[in-house]
Amino acid sequence: MAMRNAYVDQFPSEARLISAAFWSSFLALAIGGSLGLVQALHRTDYLRFIDSVDYYTVLTAHGVLLAITFTIFFLVGIFTWAVTTSLDRGLEDLRFSWAWYAMMVVGTVLVGVSILGGVVDSIDMQADVLFTFYAPLQAHPAFYVGLVLFVVGTWLAGADWFRTWWAWRGENPDERIPLPTFMTLTTTLFWYLCTLGVALSILVLLLPWSMGIVDSVNPLLSRTLFWYFGHAVVYFWLMPAYMMWYIMLPKLSGGKLFSDPLARVVFVLFLLLSTPTGIHHQYLDPGIAEGYKFIAMTNTMFLLLPSLLTAFTVVASMEHGARQRGGTGYLGWLKALPWRDPVFTGMALAGLMFAAAGFSGMINAGMNINYLVHNTWWIVGHFHLTVGTAVALTFMAAAYWFVPQVTGKQLWNRSLALGQVLLWFVGMTFMSNAMHRSGLFGMPRRTAEPQYQGFNFEPAAGTVGEINAQVALGAALLTIALALFLLNMVMTTIGGESDAIPDNTYAGTLSGPEDAPVVLDNLKLWTAIATVLVVFAYTLPLASIIDAGGLFGPGIEGFQLTIGIDPAIVLESVREVMP
Amino acid sequence: MASATEKQETDRVREIGHDEYDPVGTAILIGIYFLILVLLWLFMYFVEFLGNGPTVVGALQPVLLGVGLA
Repeated sequence: MAMRNAYVDQFPSEARLISAAFWSSFLALAIGGSLGLVQALHRTDYLRFIDSVDYYTVLTAHGVLLAITFTIFFLVGIFTWAVTTSLDRGLEDLRFSWAWYAMMVVGTVLVGVSILGGVVDSIDMQADVLFTFYAPLQAHPAFYVGLVLFVVGTWLAGADWFRTWWAWRGENPDERIPLPTFMTLTTTLFWYLCTLGVALSILVLLLPWSMGIVDSVNPLLSRTLFWYFGHAVVYFWLMPAYMMWYIMLPKLSGGKLFSDPLARVVFVLFLLLSTPTGIHHQYLDPGIAEGYKFIAMTNTMFLLLPSLLTAFTVVASMEHGARQRGGTGYLGWLKALPWRDPVFTGMALAGLMFAAAGFSGMINAGMNINYLVHNTWWIVGHFHLTVGTAVALTFMAAAYWFVPQVTGKQLWNRSLALGQVLLWFVGMTFMSNAMHRSGLFGMPRRTAEPQYQGFNFEPAAGTVGEINAQVALGAALLTIALALFLLNMVMTTIGGESDAIPDNTYAGTLSGPEDAPVVLDNLKLWTAIATVLVVFAYTLPLASIIDAGGLFGPGIEGFQLTIGIDPAIVLESVREVMP
Repeated sequence: MASATEKQETDRVREIGHDEYDPVGTAILIGIYFLILVLLWLFMYFVEFLGNGPTVVGALQPVLLGVGLA
């Protein structure tokens, strides 16, 4: 019998850390995902067993647990694997690594408990502030402290990957940075750059305000600092998915990565452009001049370049694999791809959904067209294609390969895994297309009961009932897919060790790093340019926001949803802004 | 550092090197994707400009009237 050479055999200590990070991620996925079904049934009025005020607690938990906890715990596992595997050396000090993991866990628990306080009376906290925690919605200080701990944990994780690379570079001064490490480091660099904004927003504005140290907040300033981070965070989730498409999909397809230099260019472009684009989430915010929004739009449109480069490189790598497996013809090679492999199929379908999300993203990015869909369910449809499928489905498919690697146990049921990724794809097709379409006729997002007396939505095609049915059906299929995924993971983990685990490898390249200009590996240069772009995009808007509203705003007190808002006050404030 | 990169592939029936490989199928798929994007952009013109009155400007009051707030 051949020697097994899985990740757990090469790096047993790191494998335990990655395994723990994965399970933290899966737990968040289980809770956050189930809450999604509650929301879908409530909004569409198929089944309402929670109070509509509690809808916003559930929505906050769904957003934070899935967009922050599920994604980031999984990606710290992936990045740790990428650095250790491609540098062929372990982390420098496992005590430090467990410390950042523990910090992320403590942060998550604080955030989770404070959100849960919105529906559990015995917890004297609340954080019904949604994923974006816009002021003047105000959360318990524990929510903000938890977020800070979580983010600082990720900073330390990034430091861990950097010090591993520095140690390797000391011994290999003339080598190119291996591609998976290069991807991890560039992603970490823009994560440092963008999280500065949210750290400032929390530590300077929101936390002191929630603790009563200052008695007012500037909502526009905190929103702008949030989106300074809030768009880059989507690339923080997406880059590990891209990494999987670049270094796993070609191998699974039976081929090689078409071009290592192109992959490096793509990751450099994301380092440069992820952050100075955030204002495109604020096209409808009064108080930011159109010119600044136009700069953000231009930067956003440039981001299409690395995404389209990725579409080309990844598909060309798959085609290379298919042709090596005997595929022929203009499109006949598609049949030669390993469609029965859940890891391949999950990632390929995730990529296909991402292509559809590319179109709705272009609509969101255009300033004038954005007005049509802003704050509607279109946006929710869009990000269920991006983070909800391109990222989540890639991660689930990746887990079918990674969990056996880090545990030494064979995947419990491959056919079930294949069915699961297909079911997710079908469920999301139903749910997301209906969400997009309902946005076109103005159905709002973040609304527990989008049914109004004396007013009917008028879809151009189909009916509101049909759209609601598709959303509820889609959400139900997604929940079943989620349960099947978790079942497979649990059964795999409690199963016995197996010798049939494939070797821990990633794709080779047709055109390797030797073809890439050396300047691509100059991380200091790219970080400096990224910083300059951020300074250009943000200095004037931030200065003008502070100039207009003051650092702490004009006497803005916090709203705490669960504690209750008198409807008469809401009506009065609406009347105040009416012409 | 290529020690961890893939060396063996069981289902491979032939080896295609960098110079023999011409990703024509990829060009076709990307072409189809661009065509879809162009058609959707054309369709958007009808949704955005012909399907609605002017957005934002003057849109608040009718909506609020509709839901009975004003």
